Amino acid sequence: MLYWFVFKKNLKYQNLLVIIASYIFYGWWDWRFLFLIIFSTLLDFYVGQQIFKNLDEKKKAKYWLWLSVACNVGLLGFFKYYNFFIDSFVDMFSAFGYEMKSTWTLRIILPVGISFYTFQTMSYSFDIYYKKLKPTKDVVSFAAFVAFFPQLVAGPIERASNLLSQITNTRTFKYEQATSGLKLILWGFFKKLVIADSLAPIVDDIFANYGTYPASTLILGVVLFSFQVYGDFSGYTDIAIGTAKLFGIELMSNFKFPNFSRNVAEYWQRWHISLSTWFRHYLYIPMGGSRVSKLKSVRNIAVIFLVSGLWHGANWTFVFWGAIHALLYIPIFLMGRNRLYADNVIAENSWLPSIKEIGQVLLTFILVTFSRIFFRSPSISDAFNYINQITTNFAYEAYVHPMGYRMLDFYVLLGIFTLYEYLIRKDERSPFKFKYAAVRLFLYALVIISILLFYDDGVNRSFIYFQF
Amino acid sequence: MKKFILKTVLYIVLILLIVEVIVRLFHLYTEDPPRFIDEYGVEKRVPGHKGYAVTGNRNQNYSRFSINEAGYNSHREFLPTADKFEVAIIGDSFIQGFHQDFDDSIGKKTEALLPNTEVYEYGYDGSDFASHLYLIQAYKEDFDLIDEIIIYFNYDVHLERGEYEPNYDRIKMLKSTPFKIRDNIKILAYGSKIGVLEPLKRMITGKAFEETKPKGYQTNEIEKEDDEAQKQIDLQRLANFKRAINLYGFDKNKTALMLDSRKTSKMLLNYLGESGITYIDYANDFKQSKKSTTLIYDWHWNNHGRSVIAKTIADYIEKKDKNN
Repeated sequence: MLYWFVFKKNLKYQNLLVIIASYIFYGWWDWRFLFLIIFSTLLDFYVGQQIFKNLDEKKKAKYWLWLSVACNVGLLGFFKYYNFFIDSFVDMFSAFGYEMKSTWTLRIILPVGISFYTFQTMSYSFDIYYKKLKPTKDVVSFAAFVAFFPQLVAGPIERASNLLSQITNTRTFKYEQATSGLKLILWGFFKKLVIADSLAPIVDDIFANYGTYPASTLILGVVLFSFQVYGDFSGYTDIAIGTAKLFGIELMSNFKFPNFSRNVAEYWQRWHISLSTWFRHYLYIPMGGSRVSKLKSVRNIAVIFLVSGLWHGANWTFVFWGAIHALLYIPIFLMGRNRLYADNVIAENSWLPSIKEIGQVLLTFILVTFSRIFFRSPSISDAFNYINQITTNFAYEAYVHPMGYRMLDFYVLLGIFTLYEYLIRKDERSPFKFKYAAVRLFLYALVIISILLFYDDGVNRSFIYFQF
Repeated sequence: MKKFILKTVLYIVLILLIVEVIVRLFHLYTEDPPRFIDEYGVEKRVPGHKGYAVTGNRNQNYSRFSINEAGYNSHREFLPTADKFEVAIIGDSFIQGFHQDFDDSIGKKTEALLPNTEVYEYGYDGSDFASHLYLIQAYKEDFDLIDEIIIYFNYDVHLERGEYEPNYDRIKMLKSTPFKIRDNIKILAYGSKIGVLEPLKRMITGKAFEETKPKGYQTNEIEKEDDEAQKQIDLQRLANFKRAINLYGFDKNKTALMLDSRKTSKMLLNYLGESGITYIDYANDFKQSKKSTTLIYDWHWNNHGRSVIAKTIADYIEKKDKNN
């Protein structure tokens, strides 16, 4: 109301309101880390101008760019990876017979969303360096770009060329944009509260007690985790995109029904798109991308996936997860099939998918789900033990929900969810795109009743990707 | 903007109407028969109400209740006589039995095990030891005719006070307009039951920013206090127990407590032994049970748990009968 009614004619006040709201939102968790965001904001605001000033002198511009990268990666490295690298060095020396005591590890709290906003501010410096963007002279707009609260803590990781240009321009209220925002928020809540949160206790139970369960339960656990992490992260993204729409801002899509991918390359065009495009633009292409020799391209792909894995968390499990995806992606790349499904969806021109497509989707889902054993396990040894337990205790046993709930409810829920996603697979930004208003109204009510049917106030509702 | 606000409000109203219809159609809400305080000061349910009690978001437990003329959920009327053999079971929600069909209650199960016996279940949720003894005193004429009295006793929650006082304020509050609205708009009754309205309630009561204890998946296990604090609690509870007995009396010849010795303090158990108060301990029967004795979603006894309790009661009555 304040944004559209009181400040509608003054862009600066609108942006100031966004900053205040964003800082309150972030500071609510821990006000001390606001200084980190402010530091990162001021640094890249200044660096951006210096890069632009020195664009004719490539060396100087590069120096400023490296300063931005060093500071942002340095922040990330300290808060997120310091203890990880120290422990890894100690473990490495121990493996060679040198016993060392890990006295350098520190008690560091990981600031929420640091991986997201540092990447976003770096994209600004990169875009100026690559002459895709002119630096802004308005520090308020820039601060609003860095801290824009809907996507501050878990993305989508916006490129300055998309978000900053919207923040620096006058915004007008559009009915269609606002209503589509509300619809996305509703759909996001469904994915988070109904899909992710109702599966969380089951997944937690199976991964915590994997040693006691047979293969059927362990497979169930990781399959349900696939749905949980998708519901959790894409649900958050939908809420973020929807909220931004209410402020007259369009954020980029982050998920395009990845569960219907026909190979792993397509999966990466549909899963966490803002991160994969970030790495493609700012790491893969500068390294030569696919315009270098095949061998070097393969190296570049491997680097991207390993770094992407490490980006998720300071744990070798994520590196392993990235390595598995590299191994799955590289053969597709070498066969030249990595862009095969870039512009179309499953059953593009028909109601039903072909048998071949169903097979491809199932195979991709199985491979991606398998990799998630590493993503979800607390350590590498746990992940291998989990896999070992599947192969050595190959038996079926009906799983009993930790709270005794009927498991059939969850299977039916996931079946309906998958079918519905299939129906809307062509447009990830319009989950309720049906011709008749009565149908839409009924679907909204159905979503609300589903939220109530699966609501559980005993569930820990924090988002999985907030930890990254 | 005006169009957006108007249409949003219209859609919200229509959505809520549809949800209300669905909640009613599938009976997702639970019913709570009205309460009152009778002329003897006993808090009970208004007679004649029949309905369904529902547990869980998705009708995980669905049961019929029927309030008899005495104001209690039972398959029978309470008409004690001198020539019949009657057993009264007094207790809280565990005896009230809204978690299972009223015609499949502990009383009915006990009757099936003890031919020629009528079992009267005086169950009222939230009641405690003092109110149970008060009930016996208030309805002395009836209880004099009843042959055996068994009081369900939960050490953790039944000894918070030693004297019963009818809570007129609570009854008044439940009859107030906001509560009437809640009971008539089924989506509110449903939302309230599953806890989804909790944040709203906290906001209205100004407690929105107060830290809440994570609910988690808790059982009715009470957190362990340290030894000294626990001793003080035990002493206070024992004092409340004695005070209630002194105020309302306790017929040791025909009254027994039914308790779980695992959850009852040694101090109280010793006192019961010393003062000659009989207690029926169902701890062992529950421990030996291979099947779960409690419901999903809450800790009340399930059908199996009730069968175990009925058997325990029947065994006690039969044993006492033999000894006499």
